[in-house]
Amino acid sequence: MTIYVRLEENRLDPREELGALIDQAAGDGAIVSFVGIVRPTSGDSDQLEKLVLEHHPTLTGQSLEEIAVAAAQRFDVSHVRVVHRCGEVQAGEPIVFAGAASPHRRAAFEAADYLMDRLKTEAVLWKREEGAAGTKWIEPTETDYRERGRWE
Amino acid sequence: MKVTFYGKLAAMLGTELELAVETPCTVASLRTRIAEAHPEAAKSLEDRRVRACVGSTLVADDHPLTASDEVEFLAPVSGG
Repeated sequence: MTIYVRLEENRLDPREELGALIDQAAGDGAIVSFVGIVRPTSGDSDQLEKLVLEHHPTLTGQSLEEIAVAAAQRFDVSHVRVVHRCGEVQAGEPIVFAGAASPHRRAAFEAADYLMDRLKTEAVLWKREEGAAGTKWIEPTETDYRERGRWE
Repeated sequence: MKVTFYGKLAAMLGTELELAVETPCTVASLRTRIAEAHPEAAKSLEDRRVRACVGSTLVADDHPLTASDEVEFLAPVSGG
């Protein structure tokens, strides 16, 4: 079992992250990964230039770690990998990679789904959109909280 | 007492505030004290999702505070 977590200030290449997970997962039967990309428009359909993710010096890393460990304990997975961007992320760039490897596919699907539902609502990051319409802070939506609630 | 803010609270109140607060008090009374001094941020401060943190540990609203504590208020978080 391995749990890999990284808060990345500069560059997130999902191909490299998936490659690393595949290399680790020799002997497993399934790998599921999710890549989140910054959309070019905001929730109000305005043109979005970038997202800015602020983080806490200790709590952000702790929260990512705690979520990854919980996924590893809850599902029959062999490897969990979470990489989250912080700082400025331009539209079109990856913002998060969440992946899991397991002997059978269901656990890997569920672990990736669980990771994202918790990251959306509990990762200690503060996200704001910056674009033509100005600055807007982004908080989890009712849907995000409802989807997180599926795992209670 | 030194108080630090994160996220949209930092945008409204600045990253840090130095406040004269009677101690001992609780996180809840500190929250009220800040809201009284900064009514423009009162609604955001009273959001139940705003968490307080002392010494890198999340604490509840009834957590007791002393004059030497440094308190961080975390606006609602969102990753992904």
